[in-house]
Amino acid sequence: MAELVLAAVTPHNPLLWRAMTDPVPDDLRPIAANFARIREAVASHEVDVLVVIGTDHLRQFFYDNSPAFAIGKADAYHGTWENEVRTFGMEYAEVVGHRELADRIAGRSVQPDAIDFSVSLEWRLDHAFVIPLQYVRPELDIPVVPIHANASMPPVPSVRRFVALGEHLRRSIDDWDADARVGILTSGHMANDVGGPRTFAGSPDPEFDALAAGWMRDGDLDGAIRVCSDVDRLTAAGSMTSQFLNAVAALAAMGGRAADFVDVPESRFSTSPFFLWSTR
Amino acid sequence: MSAYMVDKFIRAVELGDATVVEYVADPPAFVERWLAGGGTPDGPTDDRVLTEAERAAFAARDFGALYALGAHPYLLWHFTEAVYEHEYTEGFGWRELVERYRAAVAPQGLVDYIP
Repeated sequence: MAELVLAAVTPHNPLLWRAMTDPVPDDLRPIAANFARIREAVASHEVDVLVVIGTDHLRQFFYDNSPAFAIGKADAYHGTWENEVRTFGMEYAEVVGHRELADRIAGRSVQPDAIDFSVSLEWRLDHAFVIPLQYVRPELDIPVVPIHANASMPPVPSVRRFVALGEHLRRSIDDWDADARVGILTSGHMANDVGGPRTFAGSPDPEFDALAAGWMRDGDLDGAIRVCSDVDRLTAAGSMTSQFLNAVAALAAMGGRAADFVDVPESRFSTSPFFLWSTR
Repeated sequence: MSAYMVDKFIRAVELGDATVVEYVADPPAFVERWLAGGGTPDGPTDDRVLTEAERAAFAARDFGALYALGAHPYLLWHFTEAVYEHEYTEGFGWRELVERYRAAVAPQGLVDYIP
């Protein structure tokens, strides 16, 4: 049977691509070290397929047609966009898909209880997917199932839907009759206010950051649900803070247990989330 | 509907390199060309409508006004960065662009940008 062997949460801050190069500046060293830790974990856990939860930033999906949750069922994906290459200096990438697991998660064999998925068979992944993959698996040789969770175009789904997403992933993987070692790679933000009144001024809400790290450190899924159910609280923490909900999905997928590794380094950017649940 | 059109125009400029160059070369002319394009009765829906205030804001690259008009903050910042790239790389610098942007939007606080 398949096994969920690892879940990880990383930042997908695309500004790292230019800033975090050798020699790595002092304030970014903890971020580079944490990415290396997760890269080593993916390798040592011998992950065969990665479910990658991220949030498209109004590139592939827009208000003309905005799914709450979309699963990629393509055989392959193009990575990053012309404006991201221009703005962030990113590199185009090609990523292989995993149709069987995508089909399974999307409801072909495991009907979701509390969440309905859109599907996409033609999808250019943005930096929310490409940046984490390029840092934790630079070879880009592990097949992926990308899942877009709308945490960028409000109103976003409730935190309970993100919990349902995590629980559904766990069930879909546990029941999968395949010799496969599955990892979940989730990217998101702590408090973050891109384009808002507190843009590029460090963390817009250190109090939220401390709470959020605590939910992962303590395995406090109830605490995450309680605070993140307050949409005004999330909005007050910054324009893109709702992307923290992707991390809540990972916590739920791991049964709400405390993460084995938690680090939320501060730097010139907003606080960077690193959470890892491992089985080795 | 209006904030939606603001966001749609921003994407029409910011997603591609060529469109950024065309817009920056002559913002008012780009606005008029964009509005003149769009869908046909038997084609896919592609409506394009801007109010006078929105047209004026885009013609002037006025990010503070666009924030007030309900532009999505993420889109608006990256639009701003793209269409002022020439000025900040060869002139006042990226950090100064951030400061000017923040000075324009911060007094407005949180604006409801749900279209």
